[in-house]
Amino acid sequence: MAPAGGAQARKTNTAKRERPARHARATHHRRVFLIAILTAGLVALVLIHVWLRLQVVHTGYVLSTTSKLQSRLEQENRELKIELATLTSPERLELLARQRLGLRTPEKGQVIVLP
Amino acid sequence: MRRPARRSQHRLGIARIFFLALFLVIGGRAIQLQVLQGEKLMRLGQRQHLKEWIVLPKRGALFDRTGEPLALSMESQSVYARPRRIHDVEKLSHNLARILKLRVADVKEKISAEKPFVWVKRQVSSSEAEQIQTLNADGIGMFYEPNRHYPQGQLAGQVIGFVGLDSEGLEGLELKYNDYIRGETGSSVAERDALGRRVLVQGVEGLHIPPGSDLHLTIDTSIQHMAEKELEASIRKYRAKAGVVIVVEPFTGEVLALANYPSFDPNNYSKQSAEQRRNRAVTDSFEPGSTFKTILAAAALEEGVVGKEDLFYCEMGKYPYAGKIIHDTHPYGWLPFSKILQVSSNIGFTKVAEKLKKERFFKYIEKFGFGEPTGIDVPGEAAGLVRKPDKWAAIDLATHGFGQGISTTPLQMVMAYAAIANGGFLMRPYVVRRAVGAKGEALMQNQPHVMRRVISEKTATLLSSMLQDVTTEGGTGTMANIEGFNVAGKTGTAQKADPVHGGYAAKKRVASFIGFVPANKPRLVALVLIDEPEVNVYGGVVAAPVFRNVARGALRYFAVAPQKPAPLPAAPTRPEASPRHIVKRPNVKLADGDAEAAPDFVGLSLREALEKAQALKVKVRLQGSGYVIKQSPAPGGRWSEEAGLVLSLQG
Repeated sequence: MAPAGGAQARKTNTAKRERPARHARATHHRRVFLIAILTAGLVALVLIHVWLRLQVVHTGYVLSTTSKLQSRLEQENRELKIELATLTSPERLELLARQRLGLRTPEKGQVIVLP
Repeated sequence: MRRPARRSQHRLGIARIFFLALFLVIGGRAIQLQVLQGEKLMRLGQRQHLKEWIVLPKRGALFDRTGEPLALSMESQSVYARPRRIHDVEKLSHNLARILKLRVADVKEKISAEKPFVWVKRQVSSSEAEQIQTLNADGIGMFYEPNRHYPQGQLAGQVIGFVGLDSEGLEGLELKYNDYIRGETGSSVAERDALGRRVLVQGVEGLHIPPGSDLHLTIDTSIQHMAEKELEASIRKYRAKAGVVIVVEPFTGEVLALANYPSFDPNNYSKQSAEQRRNRAVTDSFEPGSTFKTILAAAALEEGVVGKEDLFYCEMGKYPYAGKIIHDTHPYGWLPFSKILQVSSNIGFTKVAEKLKKERFFKYIEKFGFGEPTGIDVPGEAAGLVRKPDKWAAIDLATHGFGQGISTTPLQMVMAYAAIANGGFLMRPYVVRRAVGAKGEALMQNQPHVMRRVISEKTATLLSSMLQDVTTEGGTGTMANIEGFNVAGKTGTAQKADPVHGGYAAKKRVASFIGFVPANKPRLVALVLIDEPEVNVYGGVVAAPVFRNVARGALRYFAVAPQKPAPLPAAPTRPEASPRHIVKRPNVKLADGDAEAAPDFVGLSLREALEKAQALKVKVRLQGSGYVIKQSPAPGGRWSEEAGLVLSLQG
């Protein structure tokens, strides 16, 4: 019995020794897994940050181009306003009316303002 | 088995120490960079990737009362050089001179100067800028600068004024309201990339700098144009030196037109003389002459010294007074006061002034605003010259009565007449209605402002009825008459002081007419002043027609119905008269068949008229003597040679 009992005892001893080792290994795996997830999360955060930063820069470029376009259009608008005002100045209108259309100042009695 | 383990442990130890040392070194360096040198390095970095962008001030625009733009701003490019960076001066100066239309030698001198920065040409056109861009030369660059444009050219040039190259108002309204219209210079910091392009990562908030406010004027472009055109025509016709037309709304004091001749185009202000830039209507004082008689008449009526029908003996043209002899152009005997004003008798007014006495006369001169600026919002206004009565010589009472020995600005005169037109209130004139900010809010607003009551409504009504006689048959201002309307006004022909010899110059005169229309319900008061006309000097001949044309045009423009309705025009009998044909035929001349445009005899003396008639081989019939004040058919009207012309003379 003794040898058998001894064998059994040895077996249980081994079992007793193997259990904490497996436990430790599992804990170790879990820790590695956690670290991996954290690292991946961190990397993802960093990537998101970089991506956002790139987006900001890209939008900055777009804004800059649009802002330039806006000022160019505003400038064009001002130029056109000046052109319009120059073309409709009373001096020019009178000249055109007289020369091209053959109009002249109405004579006495040609204008009737209704009271 | 043990030995390798110990060795690896040993190696691990070394590695640990190595990495620890490495981290310490890196950490130390990090502290050095971040903490010890952090600020300095940050500055250095920002200098590379941040740049301050200057936002140029946006000057506000100027509009007339109908919203027509009179002054607008634009950005145009200016070309600069950094001489030290230029390699081939010879070739570059040739290219620049060709594009910018400058002299090669001038450009060469500029770009080879020992300076870090020189302007080659400021405010170049967009096509010039494009060509400079394609040159792509080292050391040559362009910079945006604000540029002012006056699309109406010379229209109201002296009122508007102008802006210098640095966007600062230098004259006129541009100067007076500079603080409102200038706008602010701003700057914003934005990142830039390796190529120097702007990257707006912070958004565009900082870029919005409020522009200057817009000014809305009381001036009306159409009336201003009519005033300038008529003024110039009269000045050319009578070979005068200068002239002024002012049109004012009598009940508010709003200035509708303020025309000066010689004219001034603010678009190239640097090429024009100070003579052209001057706004004579407010900066120059003149002896008003007979137009000032109205002031004496107002004072005398208000004080009850005279009545409309009181009789005065006009001494048959010669009246000794205070050691001098006062003359009238025509001899008159007994005349009622209203007639004295109608024919503008100096002797009659001397007698009125004698009855009024100088203190009371002076009180009204002051009340009407003479001797002090009117307060118009235009820079450089003169006060005129009025002496206190204790400094008057004995003759001054008489001469002041007909506008001598006293000096007034044209604007003071027109405001005094406006007071008579509006029932007795002296108004403060103004040319800017309001300044409007970027969001449409009014930052400043000029309201009609009564300075004081000068005369009672009764006196004003009485005086304006008397002034109507001036423009009717027998008056001096018949040429100011507008068909269908009652015109009240007064002519003036003032002698000019001779600054060299003292006294009055023999031939120099200032012809003027001031009036308002319709007389009983005035819409406008206008002054016409022609300085040193040569062909004819009389206000009734030189200035009155300008008043008539400007006022008639303005009344049509305001669609004021005539008080006396004009007869309906006969239906057109000839097909040429239908509008359809007129449009089809450009350059329609008046000459149709045997009818042609009647030549202009108005303003000529009897002798000149006869000479002209002889030269043109025209039959004329004369009525009266003096100067031609009217002709039938009117100048430019349909007329055939056989019918001849009827000339009415007066003077």
